[in-house]
Amino acid sequence: MWQLGRLFLFFLVFIFIVLKFTVAENFHHNDNFKESLTIKPLSDGKLLTHFQFNVRISGIKEGKTFNHYKFFPRAIGQIIQSYNARELHLTFTQGRWNYEDWGYPIAPSAGTGVELWAWLWKDEKLDKNWKSLTNALAGLFCASLNFIDDTITVQPQLSFRPEGSYNATEISTHAELRYGSLPHENVCTENLTPWIKLLPCKSTSGIASLLNGHKLYDSNFHSMSIHVQPVCEDSRCLNKQLEIIQTVSAVVDPVRNSGKRDWSLNQIFGRQLSQACPLAEGSKLEVILPEDCDYKLSPDADDVTHMDGGTNIALYNLKNLQLTTDISMTWKEDIFEYNLNFEQPRIYAHRFFTGYGQERGGIKVNIFNKSPNISVPIIYYDVIPWFLKLYLHTLKVQINGKEVQDNPIKDLYYQPAVDRSRPNVIEAELLLPPNSITTLSINFDKVFLKYTEHPPDANRGFDIGSAVISSTGEIVGDFNYLYDVVTRNCSEDTPRAACYHYSIRVYTETLLVSLPTPDFSMPYNVITLTCTVIALFFGSMFNLLTRGFVALQPNEDNKNKEGKDAAK
Amino acid sequence: MTIQSHITGGLIFGAAFTARLILFHFSNITETLGSRIEIVTPVTSFTRLTEGLYLFENGVPPYDGGAFHQAPLLLACFQLLGYLPVIFTKLTFILTDLILAYYLTDITRMKQQLYCHFPRLKVELKTKEIDPWIVAGLYLFNPFTIASCLSKSTIIFTNLSIILGTYYSLKNNKSYGMFWIAMASYLSFYPFMLVLPTILMLINDAESKGKNIKSEIFSCAGLYAGWLSGLLLLSYFLVGSWDFLEATYGVILLLPDLTPNVGLFWYFFIEMFDQFRSFFLVVFQIHAFIFMVPVSIKLRNHPLFSMFLLSGIMAIFKSYPSIGDASLYLAFFPIYSEIIKYMRYNFLTTNIFCYCSILSPIFYHLWIYAGSGNANFFYAITLVYTIGNIILLVDATYAMFRREFDIWNPDLRNYEIIQK
Repeated sequence: MWQLGRLFLFFLVFIFIVLKFTVAENFHHNDNFKESLTIKPLSDGKLLTHFQFNVRISGIKEGKTFNHYKFFPRAIGQIIQSYNARELHLTFTQGRWNYEDWGYPIAPSAGTGVELWAWLWKDEKLDKNWKSLTNALAGLFCASLNFIDDTITVQPQLSFRPEGSYNATEISTHAELRYGSLPHENVCTENLTPWIKLLPCKSTSGIASLLNGHKLYDSNFHSMSIHVQPVCEDSRCLNKQLEIIQTVSAVVDPVRNSGKRDWSLNQIFGRQLSQACPLAEGSKLEVILPEDCDYKLSPDADDVTHMDGGTNIALYNLKNLQLTTDISMTWKEDIFEYNLNFEQPRIYAHRFFTGYGQERGGIKVNIFNKSPNISVPIIYYDVIPWFLKLYLHTLKVQINGKEVQDNPIKDLYYQPAVDRSRPNVIEAELLLPPNSITTLSINFDKVFLKYTEHPPDANRGFDIGSAVISSTGEIVGDFNYLYDVVTRNCSEDTPRAACYHYSIRVYTETLLVSLPTPDFSMPYNVITLTCTVIALFFGSMFNLLTRGFVALQPNEDNKNKEGKDAAK
Repeated sequence: MTIQSHITGGLIFGAAFTARLILFHFSNITETLGSRIEIVTPVTSFTRLTEGLYLFENGVPPYDGGAFHQAPLLLACFQLLGYLPVIFTKLTFILTDLILAYYLTDITRMKQQLYCHFPRLKVELKTKEIDPWIVAGLYLFNPFTIASCLSKSTIIFTNLSIILGTYYSLKNNKSYGMFWIAMASYLSFYPFMLVLPTILMLINDAESKGKNIKSEIFSCAGLYAGWLSGLLLLSYFLVGSWDFLEATYGVILLLPDLTPNVGLFWYFFIEMFDQFRSFFLVVFQIHAFIFMVPVSIKLRNHPLFSMFLLSGIMAIFKSYPSIGDASLYLAFFPIYSEIIKYMRYNFLTTNIFCYCSILSPIFYHLWIYAGSGNANFFYAITLVYTIGNIILLVDATYAMFRREFDIWNPDLRNYEIIQK
């Protein structure tokens, strides 16, 4: 009997050892997690805070499923796998990134509202997958993403190339891009809470504990995003990893409260940084130092890196930080004076409506190229909903207010809208001449909607999502310095802020258009009045066509009279 | 025709031509008129034709979008016109109007010849019939016609086809008559209902010539079907797909574009409850077509009058009517000038037309631009305009029947006449 027991014990120990090894192996080269917080004082006294959380899962074969989740959020992993997505980008934004004052953002921002784009593997139910993907994400993030239907979904031809590693021919033959945006969507804590739940440490420790809804949504601009993309593990790209990048950017305004641009973590987030997330491989806080030298950073940074562009980055390793340290930055000035020579980006754009009345109008976009002597190729991408009927023959291009011989439009992709089924899409490849303002303008008619197609607040109007200007990928002139800091594979020593890779996209303003409204209280009246008019014609015509004329004979007349007299 | 009559004709046509040419010179007038929803509709707008043409020339399928809903042959014609200087486009519209008016005089003459053996009222024996040039003049100087021509609305080509169809049918030219009616149906679908009166005109003297009426009717219908399918096939080869069917006739029948116009459809279907939309769409479209049979039967001896009546019904009850449609049936009206003395509401209809012409732009402005009125303002005006047209049509039909009654019953002149 005891022999059997010993055998059983032996067996148990064996199983335990085997299990331990396999699990350990799994853990060993599976997930890694890094977190970082970047703070950048902006030239107009505001402060950009940028949280970034990267989780990488290795040993991924494209098209093959994986079931072991350690740090990688299971909810996202399952969505990606069941809907056959190769890459997924979801951004919730409120406010507009002010390119002229703030320069380019550290991570891709987006226009106000929600923007979702995904590269999906081609299969027979790709459109169904996209639909399910939007619905699943809608459920996950408590957002109205399920409203991204056919009337909103677009397949951009030139913009929104994959951001992870990719092979151009493979992408074009095996994957398709879908894009949808909801400019009217409000972003608030109900979206932030599920977003935080995807993090390995939630908000209990690490820099995520600073994410305070009250402070975050009291900012001039905030943007929250999730990017899932494949990345190469080695230089030859034999092995791939799947990376999920979660970011939160917020632009807060310390000047508004105190008149000074001094800040401390406690002041801007209302919370203390207690400790780094114990699960994180790296946990860093970086401050991109301004060019003037009047500031004082306390406590002193662990390290200061000099970048090529002349910027210095102060680095704190949160793993070594004393508990409850409050990092702060102060300037030797009584009151902040606005800097009028702010950092201007080379390419930025403004878009607005022209015309008046509710019948027709126009859209005008000014694209600025501030580089003194370099022509910059860009891609202009604009999705106009079907209820604005664009007339392509009215598309005009002007440079510095003048019509030019040499058309800056090198390539144009245009998809006309179809009522109630798809939007207008304009994608134009433009070559912006140096130091110029390129103006695109196009006219449209406003469509008269059925009364059921208006939202409950019909007179507020309809939001038109941002136009997007993206770099073409060719590295030209002034975009260079941005590309310099952009490297795909960051080594361990480079600061995180230096290795965010993304292709530059500039988003214009969202627009609000008011459409002509019917009288919403009238359906019954209109039905009765119109039908009466039709009945008037039908009745009279029926009468004339079916009844003949007869003379009223005098004797009949007399008889009637006599009859009446007799009755009297 | 005397020399004097030639001079009158020359003067009328010359004045009409000059007036149009001068007005075309002011581009702001033509632009304003070309964007008025009373004058141009989504299916006749020249702006949309330009857009379709632009897409077509740049290799984008013109019917794969929601902007262009006109026949492919128009694309081809205007593409050819595009190679000529701009003035030729304007001249096309002016000349189309003049040719239309010219054939109208011929139609009037032929009608007067046809009716010269027909018994007449005693009072009419002394009076002269209306001068055909006056009929043309009334068409050419009708403000609705001028506005429609200046707006470059393509409804003018439908109107020309109908007039030519009538002309050749009265001339007993079967294949041309059916061709032009097929062309009109091809361009804007509704003239399909004019097939019956056209056939009636064509078989008018078949009996006297000893032809078999039944085979005549069948050959006419066959010709119509042949021409129409020929035109559709030609269009197919021109644009390379059948998409245009849905983009043109589909739009006319199913009304996806609810841009306001002078008709009854747009506001009704903006306000319609979704679950009843298709029901009422079917009812409205059937209502427009249903009159073609009883009207042709009742007026089988006066097919030209049923032509007038049906084009009137078309102008009121089609899905995208404009004042250009009204100008066509109003052009037919003076041909039957002898019925005017029987009409009871001339003063009322005249007033309604003036009232609508003045108030419709104002109310539309109040709704769309000033924001001080709402959609009901313009809707009310379209109702009044429709009622005005209805009264005119019903009154003219009444007058036609009433006069005929008096012709056949001269002895009942002193009695009270009622409908029974």
